[in-house]
Amino acid sequence: MAEIDVRHVDEIVGRIGCDDAAVIAILQAIQDKWRYLPKAALERVCEITDITPAALTGVSTFYSQFRHRPVGRHIISVCHGTACHVKGADQVTDALRRHLGLSGDNDTDAKGLFTLQKVACLGCCTLAPAVQIEEVTYGHLTAAGVGRMLDDFLELQKRGGLKKSADATSQLEGKDGEIRIGLGSCCISRGSGKVYEAITQTLKQCGINAALKRVGCVGMCHQTPLLEIVPAAGRAHLYAQVEADDVRGIIEKHFKADNWTRKIGNRISRTVDKVLTDRHWEGISRYSIDVRDEPVAAFLDKQKHLATEHYGNLDPTDLDEYLRQGGTKALRRCLKELSGQEVIEQMKAANLRGRGGAGFPTGLKWESVRQQQSQEKFVICNGDEGDPGAFMDRMLLESFPYRVIEGMIIAAATVGARKGYLYIRAEYPLAVRRVTEALKKCAERGLLGDDILGSGFGLQLEIMQGAGAFVCGEESALIASIEGRRGMPRLRPPYPAEQGLWKKPTLVNNVETYSLVPWILRNGAEAFAGLGTGSSTGTKVFALAGKVARGGLIEVEMGITLRQIVEEIGGGIGGGRRFKAVQVGGPSGGCVPAHLADVSVDYEALQQVGAIMGSGGLVVLDDTDCMVDIARYFLEFTQDQSCGKCTFCRVGTRRMLDILERICTGLGKKDDLEQLEQLAVMVKKGSLCQLGGTAPNPVLSTLKYFREEYEAHLEKRCPAGKCRALITYSITDDCIGCTLCARSCPTGAITMRPYEKHEIDDEKCVRCGTCKSICPVDAVKVE
Amino acid sequence: MKMPKVTIDNQQTEVPQGTTILEAAREIGITIPTLCYLPELSANTSCMVCVVKVNGRERLLPACATVVVDGMVIESETEEIHQARRTALELLLSDHVGDCEGPCQSLCPAGMNIPLMIRQIAAGELAEAIKTVKADIALPAVLGRICPGPCEKGCRRGQQDDAVAICLLKRYAADVDLARAESYLPAQAADTDKRVAIVGAGPAGLAGAWHLLQNGIRCTIFDDHDKAGGALRSAIPIEQLPHEVLDAEIELIHKLGADFQLNTRIGENISLEDLRKNYQAVLIATGSAKKEDVEKLGLTWASKGVAAAKKTYQTPIANVFAAGGVIAPSKMAIRSLAQAKAASAAISQFLAGEEIVGETAAFSIHMGRMKNGEIEQFMVHANDSPRQSQVIHQAEGFSDEQAVAEAGRCLRCDCRKPVSCKLRIYSQQFQARANQFKEQRRLFEQQLQHREIIYEPGKCIDCGICIQVAAQAGEELGLSFIGRGFDVRVAVPFDKSLEKGLSKVGHECVKACPTAALAFKDEAAAR
Repeated sequence: MAEIDVRHVDEIVGRIGCDDAAVIAILQAIQDKWRYLPKAALERVCEITDITPAALTGVSTFYSQFRHRPVGRHIISVCHGTACHVKGADQVTDALRRHLGLSGDNDTDAKGLFTLQKVACLGCCTLAPAVQIEEVTYGHLTAAGVGRMLDDFLELQKRGGLKKSADATSQLEGKDGEIRIGLGSCCISRGSGKVYEAITQTLKQCGINAALKRVGCVGMCHQTPLLEIVPAAGRAHLYAQVEADDVRGIIEKHFKADNWTRKIGNRISRTVDKVLTDRHWEGISRYSIDVRDEPVAAFLDKQKHLATEHYGNLDPTDLDEYLRQGGTKALRRCLKELSGQEVIEQMKAANLRGRGGAGFPTGLKWESVRQQQSQEKFVICNGDEGDPGAFMDRMLLESFPYRVIEGMIIAAATVGARKGYLYIRAEYPLAVRRVTEALKKCAERGLLGDDILGSGFGLQLEIMQGAGAFVCGEESALIASIEGRRGMPRLRPPYPAEQGLWKKPTLVNNVETYSLVPWILRNGAEAFAGLGTGSSTGTKVFALAGKVARGGLIEVEMGITLRQIVEEIGGGIGGGRRFKAVQVGGPSGGCVPAHLADVSVDYEALQQVGAIMGSGGLVVLDDTDCMVDIARYFLEFTQDQSCGKCTFCRVGTRRMLDILERICTGLGKKDDLEQLEQLAVMVKKGSLCQLGGTAPNPVLSTLKYFREEYEAHLEKRCPAGKCRALITYSITDDCIGCTLCARSCPTGAITMRPYEKHEIDDEKCVRCGTCKSICPVDAVKVE
Repeated sequence: MKMPKVTIDNQQTEVPQGTTILEAAREIGITIPTLCYLPELSANTSCMVCVVKVNGRERLLPACATVVVDGMVIESETEEIHQARRTALELLLSDHVGDCEGPCQSLCPAGMNIPLMIRQIAAGELAEAIKTVKADIALPAVLGRICPGPCEKGCRRGQQDDAVAICLLKRYAADVDLARAESYLPAQAADTDKRVAIVGAGPAGLAGAWHLLQNGIRCTIFDDHDKAGGALRSAIPIEQLPHEVLDAEIELIHKLGADFQLNTRIGENISLEDLRKNYQAVLIATGSAKKEDVEKLGLTWASKGVAAAKKTYQTPIANVFAAGGVIAPSKMAIRSLAQAKAASAAISQFLAGEEIVGETAAFSIHMGRMKNGEIEQFMVHANDSPRQSQVIHQAEGFSDEQAVAEAGRCLRCDCRKPVSCKLRIYSQQFQARANQFKEQRRLFEQQLQHREIIYEPGKCIDCGICIQVAAQAGEELGLSFIGRGFDVRVAVPFDKSLEKGLSKVGHECVKACPTAALAFKDEAAAR
């Protein structure tokens, strides 16, 4: 093992602290330094702190973020979220392994250039399948495209990497207008960073007097990068799928350059550009989507923006703008006019329920923490969004950090907490950056600190970065994690409201819940309660992904039906396929079949059809998706994320997975379905926490609605043509002998025979689907 | 403060605030099983064997950590709860790598504790060895000369070179005992004043008497020959089984109290009816018989012999039992001995007015054939000399040196905590099926760095008790969970040895460990 300089460890410990609670942050810093956790560094930590070797080892091996082996120069993270799974993440992983020559347990290539890892979800489901290399995200990958991706990445490295987008100002006074560019994680990974740079350059070169403003997520992820032009006078224009090359054309269409000379200068250079790139001015119009345009109208009209209020026109970290749009009005009212009990009554009247999934009444929770007699109380914002196929919290934190913070301050003032934590996944670096910045600005303006807005109430907020453990979304595990321990849930009661962080009364709410609080206090509980259904009021933010034509982040009124979401907002199923089911609620949820899609989105109705509201992932499935495979996929996820504490979850989910894997590979036995069902019921009943308690849901719901698919697998058939062991690829007589498939087959399973019908060698075929996707005449058949 | 009132399995109780369901249940004599709970530690809530149903709710709760609340209604002994506990145990068993019994013991029809006998021989504790042998085998000197040794077929040592010569070791233990002035006779229970007639003085009849007599039941053995021994005397070449050996072992049975009525043929000199009248029970052990003879006696014929129930060996006539060749002819005498032992148990139950179940088979899990690399770990415990004799049943038995050397070849693959292992006890109690969730097993692993303690991770149920014990004792390194989920393992931090990890409380950890994951290398020495 390479020698390391332990002085770095001393510096890290000196900077972060040396008590148990600092463990995770110390480990993160060590990994930042060495890219893995060298044993010598860990031993040094134990020498100079009170952290015991047992505690340090337990924690460092619990969280999947931490690596104990040296890694290659660049880390490739392949997203295995639900949307990515149904769109071929396995094929991409296999292709990468082949490309990098990895075999067995090996995850780093021979040159030590790349290390390949699977991640639960990158939270950019509309780009599925997605891969992240360092900070660059690649979307819509195919098995055939991985080589190009790696080349592109290395090329980018040579050029010095992606530039971090600079802060934009948003002063509109004296400007001709505003140019808004979406800079959420999804947008950036689809190139909005480059577009941003192109705009800056254009504005400078042309001397255009327009404000450039970065805004949070607009929700229309299927259309990104989005560029909106808001002239000082006149109608706003929204451009979708903009590329850097288009920027100059769009801007010039709306803004005048400051003088002739520049304009002429521009014309000349632009003419040269045009010749070089061979792009036509007219081409731009196809990107323009007018707000009255039907698909966009449909996507937006059905939505109701509360948590995402002012979506697409707020600069995420511009506090002044937030204030101008009514920000902190609720907080001021709460600090000056309302008593804590009155705030609670408002929450109760609004019938706000927890948006993290379980739907517990927020007012009751606040009341219970408020009633506790304790000198010390805490508030926690649960931003450990781990569901594969969900990215609502990421978007809210990235785009509306002040709203979440305001909700937390109100909650803290109401329950009497003076210290709070925002627990945010480490996989969401942009969210962490923006919240950090927002916290700093709040402190500067007296919105946080010892005396908030002169009210005498004080609150300190701190960010705690998660380290990769889905189970930490469970509140008792999350608390253990903040305390610097393994994220193991414990039996509740006692609930955190009574005994939470460091055994003190603690309020834990989800990101979305907090972000709805200011709206309720500004608009009144009645207005909120007036939305939705009787028991489920207000709105819910969903991440809509999978096989819909228009994926994205949506906020809808409770009570809307799943079918409306899929067909009207999502534009139905893409590619002429048949709508089969919606997976609601991720690994804890269930699959609602198309014939039950008229179920309304409310906590109880969803439960009745075997799903749950969950945190808000909606993955739409079509007839090419195998329901057994979906169940297997989720079990693989929960099994991997189980903390390992209780028998039912640790071993039970694994045995369920074993059975499902058997079924998917055609090795299922006659009584497997019965055993699977019985075991699922036991795991549900007997697990200690909700991770295990809900893990069987995807299995139970698919067994209930799609049992015939399971039975087909027992007969060694996969009706959807998905399970690799049960399908074969062949070429039909439609083949025109173009050789494309032969040239692109990664394993040489197709021999090149120009102008003749090609054949696939089943022995060599790895079922990656490259030939099928590349064939110009659709002559590849899957059976 | 008011004491909460709760109902557990329809019994009401009042307990102090803060009492857990488990504690409250124990107060009123309801034992809720648990593997991962110890009163002096904080609840691990890991094994979930202690689950109970509370207030009729769907989700079950661990009794060890659930604090009672006034008015709680708790169910612990219902079929639903038993099924949940069974499932929890079956899940733990599905990930258990290790055997309760050595395969030799499992394959022995009489279930003799062979590994224990071997260790006793290796340690020179021959008086103990014969006790072990004779607990299950009434005629070991005889069997040591004629048994084909099914036990040796399963011996793991056979995967390395040759099986341990178990049969010869047993003969050695028996021969040494017979050569003593006072040969071993087992302790007997107080006389029950019950009498059993045994028909036939062959292997089954003799064995039946040997076991019944130990239970304080008087036995009279009837045989139509002038000498006891049956087929052992008539069908085996004398060079293989000298008559003095047979006579010596029969004499011990006689000494134990058996009454022999020779030259008496049932059905001629005395009828079965008479026996049934004069004795409280009859054991038919005549060896293989013809259909007409059986029916003439008034017994029912099944396909191969006298009809008798599988585990109890009870015939359709209530107080008549049958064992050995008379129910199905067999070439293996050990099988007759084993059946007679089981029938004796059933007869004892019958005479005591208990439910007749025969012998209860101890729960046993098997990890099957060794995989690559596994046998090497076991070889550490054994000497690597070849099998002392390739020839079974040679005229001469082992010398003392040979016996010790041969015994030293045993791999010690049986469990070190076969009696105290709670996983086994509860698996037995809840009738868990060891193979219910059978999947590809993990590799067997033994860690031996510690002087006294052996750690077998495959037997660990990840309960966390040892981790807590070590942490409480302020062990500098201690133990830690490594990893997460299904792959979580208990180990010493930083890949250090167990000796370093458990420098203070090794003994305490072994004692607290609910399975044999942590065990003393040598249980006897540690006592």
